[in-house]
Amino acid sequence: MAGIKALVGLSFSGAIGLTFLLLGCALEQYGVYWPLFVLIFYVLSPIPTFISRRLSDDTDSSSNACRELAYFLTTGIVVSAFGLPIVLARTTTITWGACGLVMTGNAVIFLTIFGFFVVFGGGDDFSWEQW
Amino acid sequence: MSGFLDGIRCGDCECNVDWGERRNTIASIAAGVLFFTGWWIIIDAAVKYPDEGTFHHAYHTCGVIATVAFLMINAVSNGQVRGDSYSEGCIGQTGARVWLFLGFMLAFGSLIASMWILFGGFVVPRKSCLSVFCGAIFLILSSFLLIRGLVFKFGRTEDLWQ
Repeated sequence: MAGIKALVGLSFSGAIGLTFLLLGCALEQYGVYWPLFVLIFYVLSPIPTFISRRLSDDTDSSSNACRELAYFLTTGIVVSAFGLPIVLARTTTITWGACGLVMTGNAVIFLTIFGFFVVFGGGDDFSWEQW
Repeated sequence: MSGFLDGIRCGDCECNVDWGERRNTIASIAAGVLFFTGWWIIIDAAVKYPDEGTFHHAYHTCGVIATVAFLMINAVSNGQVRGDSYSEGCIGQTGARVWLFLGFMLAFGSLIASMWILFGGFVVPRKSCLSVFCGAIFLILSSFLLIRGLVFKFGRTEDLWQ
């Protein structure tokens, strides 16, 4: 039951994040859809962690090289999602207001993805492979 | 209402994670932030000043070299260099040391090159102050890349791998 509540809450926050992103694109005074490319970063961001969790199932060590590389790549994808609207705003492709909205959406979406890992993938008694 | 702060204790709440265990994770994240922030700064400069006069395209070399150096430095483990790993590899401990030496030479070389770009390309010709900013970007990028390499190499301890 707790899983259901968490799932509903996470989907709510994900919807809020996407709303911020679309507001940054589709409001009348903005109207430029270039920031939608951060959707690619949203899709890419959990993939390194999935791969490393599947590959490294030795749970006795607290860390290993594969997982650290996955954290490095995930951080890079998150930083890229924040860097793209800033660069777009600096080249005056989009306005700074749209940039702010997109970055707010970024923060909410990435917190949602992080919450998914904490709720469904982090515990020792509940492994990710059960999905 | 009286005494409702009594339950607060320092140091043993559940959010007090063991930072020693998490050291590798934090070092990886810090390295990732530095690396990709540096590259996004350079992307920003490249799209802002696309003309060859303000921002010569050959200046991208130092960032590329620093990235190659990062890959070289982190491709060998510290245990291989010290000689206490299980397998020798194909070129052995001496080869690992030479490889690491070349990697650090590339890293420091790119840092020095970025300083050269800053002063030789932007400060001394007395272009606009935007240009100086543009050159400082290279210095920031390259030092970010170097620090990131060092953080990813030495911030992590391999004892946690066992």
